[in-house]
Amino acid sequence: MKYLVVDDSKLARLSLIKSLKSHIGDEEIFQATNGQEAIDIMTKERVGIIFLDLTMPVMDGYEALPRLIEIDHKVKVVVVSADVQTKAKEKVIALGAKLHIQKPINPDKIEEILELI
Amino acid sequence: MLNYELSEDEKDVLQELMNVAYGNATAVVADMLDAFASLSIPKIRVITTTELLSTFAQLKSESYFFATQSFSGEFSGESAFFINQDSANNLAKHLELENEEDLDDAILELTNVLTSSLTTKLSQEMDTEVSFSLPSLLKVSNTTIQETVTFKQYSQVIVIDTDLNFQDQKIHGKIFILTKDESIQWLKTKLNSILELLI
Repeated sequence: MKYLVVDDSKLARLSLIKSLKSHIGDEEIFQATNGQEAIDIMTKERVGIIFLDLTMPVMDGYEALPRLIEIDHKVKVVVVSADVQTKAKEKVIALGAKLHIQKPINPDKIEEILELI
Repeated sequence: MLNYELSEDEKDVLQELMNVAYGNATAVVADMLDAFASLSIPKIRVITTTELLSTFAQLKSESYFFATQSFSGEFSGESAFFINQDSANNLAKHLELENEEDLDDAILELTNVLTSSLTTKLSQEMDTEVSFSLPSLLKVSNTTIQETVTFKQYSQVIVIDTDLNFQDQKIHGKIFILTKDESIQWLKTKLNSILELLI
């Protein structure tokens, strides 16, 4: 399975990828710094799970989420965000995300996510 | 005076830590107001006090409610919250406040909750603790802000600039976290050690 990590912050991407690598094998992990880059990757690669931030420049997670699912209906999107408002969670689930996880991410949270989806 | 600059990596780490802290703080305020806020990307700059004051002056509005709260510890500085007259009036309407005294009280409480939870979370992420002063509220016009504020004690400041934006209620505010000179070196070391753990 291929993974895609979408976040404008290098720290957030590094942290998520490090946690992810402790639970998966040598599977391929792509990185994107905004929603548009994520869409570009999705049109070329068959990705199984996307970890998606919400607040990003160029194209934010709210806009990218339905477009990513439109490209591949089977893709599972996990929103990883600092926006912990109940309405933000409801909104991304309504847009098709499988989960909304609060930042920052750690290996325990990744294990839980991989078990849940 | 030492001239501090933040590298791209240091800015990235600070921005992400701030993003997490700001998300948490906004959720607390959103609960308090029973409203939904849209989040934006925090902007990080290292500037001189003169530049800071001109930034404040550029916040175009005739009058502001301007609340500040200082914090101290290894990470020390001051947080400032700006809300203009229109937003303050909308806040009063949203909370069904009856007089100006209640509005002052509401803005102070909002500032207290917002900046305390923001700075507490930011400090936790950097494995340190801060203590807070009571927030104080000033009502100042744009022209007098340069004489009123206490920021002259800083030579350089790291400014973390974020928005509080409740679109439906038309309540918009700006939050600044300002760090003092002696904290900047501590902060740089901390940001680098956070990044090094991941590489």
